[in-house]
Amino acid sequence: LSGTTEVAPPETVVVIDDDYAMRLSCGKILAKMGLRAESFDSGARGLEGVAILKPDMVVVDLKMPGMSGMEVISRVHELDPQIVVVVITGYATIDTAVEAMKCGAYDFLPKPFSADELRLIVNRSLERRRLVRETQRHEIERAMLTRRFVTFVAHQLRTPLVAVHQYLDVMQRVEQSPAKQHEWLVRCLTRIEELQDLISDWLTLARVESGALLRERVEVDLNRIVRDLLGTYQQIAAGQGVSLESSFPEDGLRVCGDRNCLLVLFDNLITNAIKYNKRGGKVTVTGTFSAGEAVVEVADQGIGIPEKYRPYLFEEFFRVPEERSIAASGAGLGLHIAKRIVSEMGGSIGVESEVGVGSVFRVRLPGAGGETGAEIHAEAHSDCR
Amino acid sequence: MAAKVLLIDDDSDFRIAVKTLLEGQGYEVLEASSGHAGLELLLQHKPDAVLVDIMMETTVEGYGITHALKHRDEYAEFRNIPVFMVSSINQSPDERFPMSPEAEMIRPDWYLTKPLDSSALLRLLERAIGTSKGLVA
Repeated sequence: LSGTTEVAPPETVVVIDDDYAMRLSCGKILAKMGLRAESFDSGARGLEGVAILKPDMVVVDLKMPGMSGMEVISRVHELDPQIVVVVITGYATIDTAVEAMKCGAYDFLPKPFSADELRLIVNRSLERRRLVRETQRHEIERAMLTRRFVTFVAHQLRTPLVAVHQYLDVMQRVEQSPAKQHEWLVRCLTRIEELQDLISDWLTLARVESGALLRERVEVDLNRIVRDLLGTYQQIAAGQGVSLESSFPEDGLRVCGDRNCLLVLFDNLITNAIKYNKRGGKVTVTGTFSAGEAVVEVADQGIGIPEKYRPYLFEEFFRVPEERSIAASGAGLGLHIAKRIVSEMGGSIGVESEVGVGSVFRVRLPGAGGETGAEIHAEAHSDCR
Repeated sequence: MAAKVLLIDDDSDFRIAVKTLLEGQGYEVLEASSGHAGLELLLQHKPDAVLVDIMMETTVEGYGITHALKHRDEYAEFRNIPVFMVSSINQSPDERFPMSPEAEMIRPDWYLTKPLDSSALLRLLERAIGTSKGLVA
């Protein structure tokens, strides 16, 4: 909160021993190890020190007048169960060691011990402490991420549902002209379609992420995929005054992969190129073979993507803010899915863009090893979608 | 004169539906699709109530508006305007920021979940506007 740069403080070890010479030598060794060492001569004072210093580790002599080492262990763990405690014992029988472990000690050090032995055990104890803390931190982070994701997903799913619900609720209460009613029904249907698309996108993503793509590999001609897609979208594009073109090598452009995933990949790129194009604009899909790679470029003449957003373009749920005014639908998953599919196939995807001029999405995929005319397997069993 | 309600939500369908409902009851409805646009309309038109979505472009926009209205000096004259915070996620500021002073800073007058129950909304609005006008007068 102070706003100063945080420097990790040295780890702290508290030594509790009634023997002055022992405290002194332990303190020296620990300090040489770069640790902060504080010594106390009794269990009671030691506990006070632990409460104030909040150390990472406590080294305690088992046999002291007053509060015993055993009691110190449990009292330290009442303060903080994560503090690693190591006991020093002059009568190193298995029994005392086991008892100390039962009380929560991590390890024990029989007297007399060498500087090396102390260093070894301290390093091991602190390492364990770090591991425990790291694990804890990861668990907390993961829990937070999961919670955030669940909240986000719930919001994404609810938004179209809420719109439909609200329309129907108001339609039920407020008398309206048939024309208005029709308009609202069309809007409701659009929102339901949005929800359907969102759910399909998620399923696709889940399947890509589960690695289904790696199991299903057949030789696929990208030219055919693109041609089919352009055929499907011809009319929709024409309705927006956008023309579609493609150019591929005469004998096709083959890669090895899951046909349905490749369809999703180019479907996402081509529909984006249509959706964010300008009236009278063109979508050009160009396929070439270069250095063992199939390279497909999907170019549009649309609004372009401001440079500041490009690094986030392929991230889950990211949408360029300016796009929202152009097309209300879209969950921000299309390009993320595209990227996942491409990287699962060992390829890459990138974008070049100029605001107001257009964008070019370039996909590079490993080519299908040159055996032209190789048999294309049945494509119906793919489980990508 | 018809009471004015400012509706701030980035979902145009939601706005259309609620606007139709409120206009049917004689309210004048002002619409904004972002928090920023909402504050501008607020300064211009001095509405009698504000209905604001929490999760818009940024997740804090709804909270930002409530905070501005309830605590910032520039908006002091609007402090008595009832604020209805609306979200599709059943999470009030207290749940979202547990044990945090932030929850107090952004607590709206009313917290509602989407989809809105039309009858309940109309009832609450009438009461809230009546009360706030009574206080101002």
